[in-house]
Amino acid sequence: MASELSVLFRRLRTWAMLLALAAIPILIAAAVKLSSHPVAPGRGPPFLDRITQNGLFVGVTAMIVSVPLFLPLTIGVVAGDTIAGEANLGTLRYLLVAPAGRVRLLLIKYAAAAAFCLAATLTVAAAGAMAGVALFPVGPVTLLSGDTIGVGESVVRSLLIAAYIAVSLLGLSAIGLAISTFTDVPVGAMAATIVLSVVSQVADNLPQLEWLHPWLFSHYWLGFADLLRQPISWTSFGDNALLQAGYIVAAGALAYGKFTSKDVLS
Amino acid sequence: MTRPWLRWLPAALVPVALAAAALAGSYQAGAATSLPHKTAEEVIAMIGRADVHSLSGTLLQSSELGLPQLPSVGPTATQGPASVIELLSGSHTARVYLDGPAKARFQVMDLLAERDLVRNGNDLWLYNSADNSAAHMTMPAEPARTAAPHATPTPGVTTPDVVAQHFLAAVGPTTDVTVGDGTTVAGHTAYQLVIKPRSTGTLVDSVTIAVDSASGLPLGVDVRARGQAAAAFSLSFTELSLSTPDAALFSFTPPPGAAVEEKATPQLRALPGKTGQAPQAKAAADRPTITGTGWDAVMALPAGTVPADVRSAPTLTQLTQPVAGGRALTTSLVTVLMLDDGRVFAGMVPLERLQSAAATK
Repeated sequence: MASELSVLFRRLRTWAMLLALAAIPILIAAAVKLSSHPVAPGRGPPFLDRITQNGLFVGVTAMIVSVPLFLPLTIGVVAGDTIAGEANLGTLRYLLVAPAGRVRLLLIKYAAAAAFCLAATLTVAAAGAMAGVALFPVGPVTLLSGDTIGVGESVVRSLLIAAYIAVSLLGLSAIGLAISTFTDVPVGAMAATIVLSVVSQVADNLPQLEWLHPWLFSHYWLGFADLLRQPISWTSFGDNALLQAGYIVAAGALAYGKFTSKDVLS
Repeated sequence: MTRPWLRWLPAALVPVALAAAALAGSYQAGAATSLPHKTAEEVIAMIGRADVHSLSGTLLQSSELGLPQLPSVGPTATQGPASVIELLSGSHTARVYLDGPAKARFQVMDLLAERDLVRNGNDLWLYNSADNSAAHMTMPAEPARTAAPHATPTPGVTTPDVVAQHFLAAVGPTTDVTVGDGTTVAGHTAYQLVIKPRSTGTLVDSVTIAVDSASGLPLGVDVRARGQAAAAFSLSFTELSLSTPDAALFSFTPPPGAAVEEKATPQLRALPGKTGQAPQAKAAADRPTITGTGWDAVMALPAGTVPADVRSAPTLTQLTQPVAGGRALTTSLVTVLMLDDGRVFAGMVPLERLQSAAATK
């Protein structure tokens, strides 16, 4: 497990992706700081107009912006690479020569992908907080309900949001892992995972498919706003966790079926 | 590797198990419960006696009016005049907190936004997080009341109770009232009061009110339209606790940086933040007139009550259809006729009845 994590986090690609994610909040903060026109309320991404008043909103805005595309993109790359990448490099059979067992390998690969989910969201949150503190005044934070909370509690809520998003991405990671067992071409698995996340989000916006919405793994992705209400509404957190758990079990079973019955030749 | 198909077994079984668990969960939620028998009169009397002073709960409102669905792309879709029409389709979640007759908080939870209504004594605050605007009103001083809050609700707080009272007021000789099977709403066992208008002139087929078997509080209202299986309008609690909410919820100070507006008399009957419906002090002549009684009553608004910019809003033109002398919005439950001369007619009746009401004026 430790060796798997060190392999993941020693790769140049992983660091490049984390840096790109960190650039999003910095870009947002710099753009708002340098623009001469004040942002009108209700224009652009939510909370964009609040940034000038309170730097702590940079992290929240950056997370809203990165959830639909950037985070799934990086997750797709990491999760799609898990098995197919080893197969492509020809290292998969050496991993299986060790008496570790295929199920254990799957679990370790998935744990590493899940660790990346957490690292990616925390990167966005931390870079946002730092950029906001550096460029804008910091003060009490206004919640969606109109109540204000202190800086300390707002940090707690930001961490909760990061946790929510990390949990939201676990289902996608599991899907990426399952796809990865079906192919020896890592790029194919990555692309398929990312395409699935886009398809799921498009379907979530089509009112004609309303019956399907609660079953889509991206359905609760933007539900973390419920953590910015007063009092906190935990319903969407619980629903989201349950849904993602369902996807993990289903995709995990699929990955198990394919990977344990697969002839590993490379 | 003797039997490779065995390894695929979990992949096949897990989705089946998940679907079964989800189905069992939803089946359990709507399962019929057996309650001691009560007549319709007794259940209506229970609602009248309901003595619920404080509650906190989550409400789910959904409409299936047969209108074309408006695409809701992102959080920006709920701004502007569209938000009036937004209530006519799709579903909404709101949280409601009540403590005595003078303290109320109502939160309409939108995607990445929220609209709030806070009442504490005579102070009434509206807050909309989408444009960070707040409005303050002072309620007219009222004589001390002893009644439960459901008798005189805070304007704008739409609970099943308020809607149920509206329909119960229509109960009369033109209505059949029966008690259906017991049900469970938000974990509370409830009687189902079914109100069925006898008149064929209305679009309403039946109204079902779920009444808490313990407290007599209406927990949910379903309105069914003629010839439609799903409820055309439904409002019910998904979570409900009858304990006193945290007092801090009712003290509201506008957040720094918010645009605060002082408004006159609160006359809103609508959800907070629904467009800039400035509550205008209406002259007596501008009052809506109501013709007919009961279910097929028609409400008429004289010319000038509906602002021209609302009438010409693109979303509204999209939803309405041209008819002789104006435009009409026809849904499975409510029909609105907007004449070119500015008069507006509305009612839970077919379009023909509105047109004949307009012609007799």
